[in-house]
Amino acid sequence: MPDARTAAAETSSDGGPSAAERFLNGILPENPTYRQMLGMCPTLAITNGMRSAMTMAGAVLFVLVCANVMVSLIRGLLKPHLRILVFTLTIAAFVTIVDRLLAAYMYAMSKQLGPYVPLIIVNCIIISRCEVCAAKQSVPTAIADAVGQSLGFALGLASIATVREILGAGTWFGLPVLPAAWPAWVIMVLPPGAFITLGLLMGGVNWFLARRQTARG
Amino acid sequence: MEYLSSIILIAISAALINNFVLYYFVGICPFLGVSRRVDMAFGMGCAVTFVISIAAFLSWVLTAFVLRPGAPLASWVWQRLSPGSEGVADLSILNYLVYIFVIASSVQFVEMYLRKFYPPLYKSFGIYLPLITTNCAILFACLEIMKHVSGVPAAEMWDLGRALALAFFGGVGFTLAIVLMAGMREDLELCDVPRALRGPAIALIVSGILAMAFMGFTGVDRNLAALLR
Amino acid sequence: MRNNYIAQAWLVIVLGLVFGGALAGVQAALSDRIAQNKLEEALSQIPALVPGATKEASTEVEVGGARVFRAGAASGQLGWVIPCGRQGFGDRIELLVGVDRGVERITGLYVLEQKETPGLGNKIADARLFRNQFAGKTATRYLVVTKQGAKTDYEIDAITGATISSMAVCGIVNETLGRLRAELLAALPKE
Repeated sequence: MPDARTAAAETSSDGGPSAAERFLNGILPENPTYRQMLGMCPTLAITNGMRSAMTMAGAVLFVLVCANVMVSLIRGLLKPHLRILVFTLTIAAFVTIVDRLLAAYMYAMSKQLGPYVPLIIVNCIIISRCEVCAAKQSVPTAIADAVGQSLGFALGLASIATVREILGAGTWFGLPVLPAAWPAWVIMVLPPGAFITLGLLMGGVNWFLARRQTARG
Repeated sequence: MEYLSSIILIAISAALINNFVLYYFVGICPFLGVSRRVDMAFGMGCAVTFVISIAAFLSWVLTAFVLRPGAPLASWVWQRLSPGSEGVADLSILNYLVYIFVIASSVQFVEMYLRKFYPPLYKSFGIYLPLITTNCAILFACLEIMKHVSGVPAAEMWDLGRALALAFFGGVGFTLAIVLMAGMREDLELCDVPRALRGPAIALIVSGILAMAFMGFTGVDRNLAALLR
Repeated sequence: MRNNYIAQAWLVIVLGLVFGGALAGVQAALSDRIAQNKLEEALSQIPALVPGATKEASTEVEVGGARVFRAGAASGQLGWVIPCGRQGFGDRIELLVGVDRGVERITGLYVLEQKETPGLGNKIADARLFRNQFAGKTATRYLVVTKQGAKTDYEIDAITGATISSMAVCGIVNETLGRLRAELLAALPKE
């Protein structure tokens, strides 16, 4: 797979990576879950079913895009000392909005997600994207970055949720995929299953990348 | 006596049975990042416990008196602004903004305090001290307190004692988990871990086994409640 | 230096005001819908909990300091649906108990929220495995959990491997009915 950096050779007008680069980087090369290791809390907590995992990914997409747009719009006004506070306030406001929207339109899901929606406020992915990209680059680039990172995050969540839900309940998105005779590995939907699944998948990703490295060089 | 037993139940529940790290998955980033040496882990745990208690105290006060539906201060101001109106003063939409503000200020306050009175400790923390702001565990404690204070009938509302018990013992549970993890990782460094699993991967697998061990505490709170009744 | 900080803080203050206003708007737009969702949760279960009752003919009232629902039909009030629960930290069970008009018999049970162990304790939410047996049990004396098979109208079969969760549910039902029975009877509409 060609490296995203060589594929999109143009840089954006502000000297940083272009919008296309930002978008593609976020999905696999700088995947938030497996490469940057940010946002571990929802990755472990929400992944016992695909539906809640995808709802959480949607919520993070909303907050990340809105926060990136907002920060990018006011990036000329940010002062060094207070910028983290500005990021945090912006993110908190958008998380409140998405929390209310979920409670209004997807009430059962919002109860299932519980305290993890407001915990998006302290999700390191969003603050780090604001700091690294939105505070320095234009709005379109910031949007591309936000969408790319959210897709990467969704990919990470989906990989873990798939394993946990299929092994732990025999379903995927609530639909049965394994025969009823399958004894559900309940440990998979419990906290230890989350830790072990993520650990093994991370090991798998590292192994795969190491093999690709030795195959190349 | 009933009050004391409810405090004990909350304490044991927060520290052991529903451990913040191993059950609720909050505070994972420092759990994986700072837990390489036992003394650093213990220091981080103490700092987090300290900040969580301050933040919980301030959150409880603000939620109970200003933010929740029908809060005394908000209602008083509302009565002044539009006397005799039917509506209930409800500022709870601002909850998350206020909590994150409180947490950022608490961390700032602790930073200033440490820099003035314990400079070597401040220096040894380095970047990790301001990072406590993004520690999910603190916001999680504030959210749990909000759940039991805001939108709850007056008879069931948690008082300050229960809120502080939850926060402080949640921090104790966090410290316990992070110190246990550090001890195990110190030993892991001497082991022959497969290359793909080195680093955070093996730490996560070991945490899973630790979480399984803590699952042994399930049900202790219910039986303890029956015993204390 | 102090002046500089305050000058720099103007952005934070402006943002605070802007966001405060936006959030107030969101609150105004959505709070009714959210309150309705909460109500729907309980209302939608009423036909299943009190046979013959309909959502439209049921209303929420306050009895004895608790909010309960009069489960009614066109012919009048058929029974009550009482939300009850235990709100510990991490130990959260919320139930809806349906009883008949005279608070003599339980007519149904529904679990709104529970945080029990998946695969074991969370079977209390399952109709066939646990909840259905509540219909027809007495509401005039405390229910007792048994592992030997329920034979009388005040015994409840525990779920295998989830005795504690079963006992928790019965405890909530007992405590709520014991506390509210007299008030419910007093709140019946006069004939």
